[in-house]
Amino acid sequence: MSMRVSTAGMHAATLGLLLDAQARLARTQEQIASGRRINSPADDPIGATRIESLTREIEAGRQYMRNADAAGSRLKYEEQGLADLGGALDRVRELVLQASNATVDPDSRAMIRQEVAGRVQDMLDIANRQDGQGEYLFAGLAALTRPFERTATGVAYRGDQGQRYQAVGDTQRVADGDSGDAVFLRVPGGNGTFVTEPAAGNTGTGVIGVGNVLDATAWPGGTFTLRFVASDAWEVVDSATPTPNVVASGAYASGQAIEFAGISVEVSGQPVAGDAFTVSDAGRVGLFAALDRLVATLDSSTATPVERAQFQSRLAGDLVQLDQALGHLQQVRAGVGVRLSALDNAVATQADLETDLESLRSSIRDLDYAEAVSRLNQQFVALQAAQQSLARVGQLSLFDYL
Amino acid sequence: MADLLSTAVSALSAYNRGLATTSHNIANVATEGYSRQRVLYGTREAQAFGNGWLGSGVNATSIERVYDQFLGLQYRTTTSAFGRQEVFAALAGRVGALFADAETGVGAALQRFTNAVQDVAAAPTSIPARQVLLAEASALAGELRNHDERLERLANEVNGRVTSVVADINGIAASLADLNERIVSARARTGQPPNDLLDERDRLLDQLSTRIAVSTVEQDDGALNVFVGTGQPLVLGPQATQLATQPDPYDPAGVRVGIATAAGFVDVTGSVSGGELGGLLDVSRQVLDPARRTLGQLAVGIAETVNARQRAGMDLTGAAGSDLFAAGDAQVLADRGNTGSATLDVTRADLTQVVAADYLLEFGGSGWSLRRADTGAVVVLTGSGTAADPLRADGLEFVVSGAASPGDGFLVRATHGAAAGMQALLTDPAAFAAALPVQAAAATGNRGSAAAAGLSVVDPANPALRNAATITFTSAGTYSIDGGPDTAYAPGTPIEYNGWRLELSGTPAAGDVFTVSSNVAGLGDNRNALGLTDALSNRTLNGGTASLADVFGRLVADVGVQSRQAQLSRDALELVQGDARAAIDSVSGVNLDEEAAKLVQLQQAYQAAAQVVRVADTLFDTLLGAIGR
Repeated sequence: MSMRVSTAGMHAATLGLLLDAQARLARTQEQIASGRRINSPADDPIGATRIESLTREIEAGRQYMRNADAAGSRLKYEEQGLADLGGALDRVRELVLQASNATVDPDSRAMIRQEVAGRVQDMLDIANRQDGQGEYLFAGLAALTRPFERTATGVAYRGDQGQRYQAVGDTQRVADGDSGDAVFLRVPGGNGTFVTEPAAGNTGTGVIGVGNVLDATAWPGGTFTLRFVASDAWEVVDSATPTPNVVASGAYASGQAIEFAGISVEVSGQPVAGDAFTVSDAGRVGLFAALDRLVATLDSSTATPVERAQFQSRLAGDLVQLDQALGHLQQVRAGVGVRLSALDNAVATQADLETDLESLRSSIRDLDYAEAVSRLNQQFVALQAAQQSLARVGQLSLFDYL
Repeated sequence: MADLLSTAVSALSAYNRGLATTSHNIANVATEGYSRQRVLYGTREAQAFGNGWLGSGVNATSIERVYDQFLGLQYRTTTSAFGRQEVFAALAGRVGALFADAETGVGAALQRFTNAVQDVAAAPTSIPARQVLLAEASALAGELRNHDERLERLANEVNGRVTSVVADINGIAASLADLNERIVSARARTGQPPNDLLDERDRLLDQLSTRIAVSTVEQDDGALNVFVGTGQPLVLGPQATQLATQPDPYDPAGVRVGIATAAGFVDVTGSVSGGELGGLLDVSRQVLDPARRTLGQLAVGIAETVNARQRAGMDLTGAAGSDLFAAGDAQVLADRGNTGSATLDVTRADLTQVVAADYLLEFGGSGWSLRRADTGAVVVLTGSGTAADPLRADGLEFVVSGAASPGDGFLVRATHGAAAGMQALLTDPAAFAAALPVQAAAATGNRGSAAAAGLSVVDPANPALRNAATITFTSAGTYSIDGGPDTAYAPGTPIEYNGWRLELSGTPAAGDVFTVSSNVAGLGDNRNALGLTDALSNRTLNGGTASLADVFGRLVADVGVQSRQAQLSRDALELVQGDARAAIDSVSGVNLDEEAAKLVQLQQAYQAAAQVVRVADTLFDTLLGAIGR
């Protein structure tokens, strides 16, 4: 026997089909309206969690790119500052070369000194430059403290040695500047290993050069004194107390290299007995201290041959110091360039990653319209069929024939 | 002829009943829960005459309803399951909707806050960046509060519905008891089933099943006993017991369901199941409470992580940083039945170990024991409970003061509700501590390659933290701090002093000097802000297995899975319930075509019987005519 169907049951069943068809249609319509396959975590819990974490990664990536922009803009300020600084130093170097010319008369030298002093002031202004935020570029972390200040004893540094880093990747950090300490206070002295200096009381006309390093491992550091025991004989003593040890000695010939402790220095001209020159560890010198010394050298008198010799010795030292400063600034600038290119790479990486992550997120979250529209059509037909079936079934009744 | 007439009249009367019953069926075609009725016919007692037994007509012996007890039971079982699932799915869906959009809500607010920290790190002296940070902090706290509040509102709604469902159940139970009484007396009076009353009772049982799962036992007298939970009687014959609600003994906002007996309130919250009531209790236990606990854990995690960094840092005025967030404390709720004077103080001592759970701390007479409120699993306690030696478990510390009586207990909520107390405390943009309070410097004359590679604060509370300290390498392998004794220097091992920790890279030379001093001018410093962004993404929760974002991601996944499963199961049960209803309908439902056919059949029978009456009349007339002639 076939199953018995009650009139109310048949009606309810047909109605149920109709309501189901409507609900399915409404859900597809919601998806099409929002453009999203997942409108609630319940639609696809795993997918919803993936979307959540992908959105987080995308946002983090965008933040990294913003950080890279901020660091890049600050580094560009710094690079401009370093370029201007290099230009000023180049000009000073030219002037020093002019000044070292023996034919320069005192008036011209005074003018040169004038211009050098002006350039030093320019460089001080550059050292105190601010970025777009009003932060000093070369103050380290003490970003709101004006870093360089002229005092009675020279230019003082008020900043610190800190360096600020920006996160431009999950593990990648890039410094967005260099402290004034690293840029201005850490110029290698002399020829990078040692500095030479004539003693103040020299009475001869001996001029010492900047020297060469022959064997860096043999240079013990410390301070040595090259002194003339006679006008044609020298000895080098160390700084032992109370009695210095003689390290080397020899006969003097003008322009001939004097070698000891892995280095060589040259003295030319005519020193006299009792004249001395010190050779000491280069260490690190401040750019402004070096420039101040240069100005002082240019100020010094060259009236007598002895004074002239002192001047020549000192100017040679100043010149090599300028070269060191230029080299040092170039190094710093190269470092800035490396960081700028690292930032470009980081931004490019993040941009690629963002594109990938967004397309991944879209593949999880967003609707396949072609599929959805075809589904909508199917469901529409199903709903129509359910409606027609409900209407037809209601028309059938045996009572119509009684 | 008298026999003929009487037989015909019995048929007229019987088919009249049949027509009336068919008409009753037709009239109730749309009545919900109506079972079609049919008349049972039997022959009347035959009369003996000389050569045999002469039939004497028909009797309508009974009117019965067509109903299958087994199908009814099946329908009620699926109705309870569906009722539970429908409520559960709807509420879980609403919780899911709270966490639906990845671009707004808590997860997005946390990400925006982290981004704002990075924006400050990119420009520590920028007041606008700091203002954005404070605004995002406030928005994050607001999102957490808001979500907790909405979950709490849902919980309150659930509790309110529990109370009203219990009232419904009591109303239905009273009606059932009343019907039992009427059915018993109707049966006793006629010996026949009172069909419409039975339908009415089944309809009430169906209604009851949408609210709570029941089991039934029919008595011989026709009364039906109804039981709930694990066999607690709701209706016994003409008597109905009352379900009642009471506030939770620990938490006045919580609700317990029990049976009001002469002996008092018997708690059946854990044993009732199914129907709307079961769904409400389950959604509260399985969705709302865990979601609020996890949200609280997230709030506590954010607050503690940010605050620890703030305290270790220095703000834009050069002062030590202060707390940016306040999250709600761990909640202690004493059992209202406690007789001792003990009070309990709970702190979250080790955030890494804190679990998003509720606990019951109970005094057994000689000592305290702790178990999970949800699973009942015992948690091992250490310590004695004094302030100096608190009881410890799962990263919590419990300090008991006063004297407890045996049987006293406390409900401890490690993180539940902590999101409700989430506040952003700072209003001055300068107060965000982007900088570290100390800085390290290498002396210009250093000859070694050593550089200060990292400086961090390990003890922000050290009063000498920001005092200047000088580290002098007395040889390549030893150093002395502030002229103190020589200490051996091991490369790679940081130097700790005054609450800071300094890491050196490279190799120091004898005579090298490093100084650590106050960073009061270091307003461009972002080290602490960078440290905070790291801390926010580190796996610091759940024993070091989950980051803040992970905890939130799991919450979204849990809620999503629960609400999806509930919906799928609801849809499946809807089909099962529909089948069960269809099965009942196919047996008990009225089919109008069938009734029309029956109508025709009975009408014909009635007309035939009427013809018999006419034949009897004609016979009688014939007889009278023969006599009269």
